[in-house]
Amino acid sequence: MNKLGITEQELASRRAYFQLTDGDLTRLAALRPFAERHNDAIVDAFYQELILKHAESRLFFTDQATLQRAVAAQKRYFLELFSGVADLSYMENRLRVGTTHQRIGVAPKWYLGAYAHYLRLISDRLLAEQGPSAETQEKLRSLQKIIFFDMAIAIETYIAAGLDALARHQAAIRELSTPVIQLYERVLLLPLIGTIDTARAMQVMENVLMRVVERQAKVIILDIAGVPVVDTRVANHLLQTTEAVRLLGASTVLTGISPQVAQTMVQLGVDLSKMHTRASLEEGLELALGLTGRSIRVKEA
Amino acid sequence: MQSGQIPILRIGTTLLASIQIELRDTTAQSFQEDVLKAIEKSRSRGLIIDITGLDMVDTFVARILTDTGRMAKLMGTETVLVGMRPEVAATLVRMGFSMQGVHTALNVDEGLALLAQLQGAQGRA
Repeated sequence: MNKLGITEQELASRRAYFQLTDGDLTRLAALRPFAERHNDAIVDAFYQELILKHAESRLFFTDQATLQRAVAAQKRYFLELFSGVADLSYMENRLRVGTTHQRIGVAPKWYLGAYAHYLRLISDRLLAEQGPSAETQEKLRSLQKIIFFDMAIAIETYIAAGLDALARHQAAIRELSTPVIQLYERVLLLPLIGTIDTARAMQVMENVLMRVVERQAKVIILDIAGVPVVDTRVANHLLQTTEAVRLLGASTVLTGISPQVAQTMVQLGVDLSKMHTRASLEEGLELALGLTGRSIRVKEA
Repeated sequence: MQSGQIPILRIGTTLLASIQIELRDTTAQSFQEDVLKAIEKSRSRGLIIDITGLDMVDTFVARILTDTGRMAKLMGTETVLVGMRPEVAATLVRMGFSMQGVHTALNVDEGLALLAQLQGAQGRA
């Protein structure tokens, strides 16, 4: 519910937009005896004529017990259309059904196609029983309104679930895009690959600071060999990260500076002199080890 | 204004102040005074300010800490700020306040090592 941000206010504006008035709800409540009388027949027809006829929708019902549970739930679901209420708890209920459909893999086309079929079945019976009077037309209109009201909620559940999945993937990508590796005791490496935008730069800074404190690292090497474009903005992010790392009591070494990046930095007037910089990661590692009081030496033969 | 809220310990020629309470404007100011008085009294050569316990440092407090370091330096004492939390560092830098001129270290141990190094350099100079 909170995920879709549905409040009393939103409910009211939604009902106004779908023109679902109290009059509609009263008419629907008055139709309840009719709906109850026909419900079993309609739902049975609904399954026989539609759902079980199509191989793809039949797949959802692998055994008799599942089918029976679904039919029973369906009967309750349709009768609720005639409860005469469309409040928050009604919406919540609809939302839950949408979430279930989404989880078990009922695609929107199955849901919408089935609902359309249901609407035809019930309209036919209503017209047959009560005749094509103006009053019947009113009732059909009320029914149509609440069904569309329902469908909107269901579709939004599908979209919200999709966005949820997208957000999870983005989080995973972000996580993968700032892998901090321990190269040596108290020396960390963050190889940056791909474009750095503000959001990612912030993520990088937070991750770097956290790791430095966590591992009590003295030096962190930022390798930008894999960053396609280094402009003023990216340079500023790198400078900020360097300053923040210094505040923690550690140092930053920037490596992977290509001739092109060096040219751009100087031409743009970006002052990187406060940072330790090296052309290659190899030299950066030597510098980092030097800063921790170590050095690499050639073994004597 | 109440002084003495933040204990300042003396270890050899080094002073150690570990800030464990939230620094409000008045506590920050009295802290500065206490530190300078302690330097005067103890003739220390180094000062370590441990801010591991601070999960929020605004620019006012950051300025007080920076200034305290500069003042101590005038009195012949080098200051090292240790234990800043990642989120504090990120916030300060984003506000454009990177406490230039203050020595920093990851923890008290490192701070002591850095002080020894700074004092050694001073002794040679």
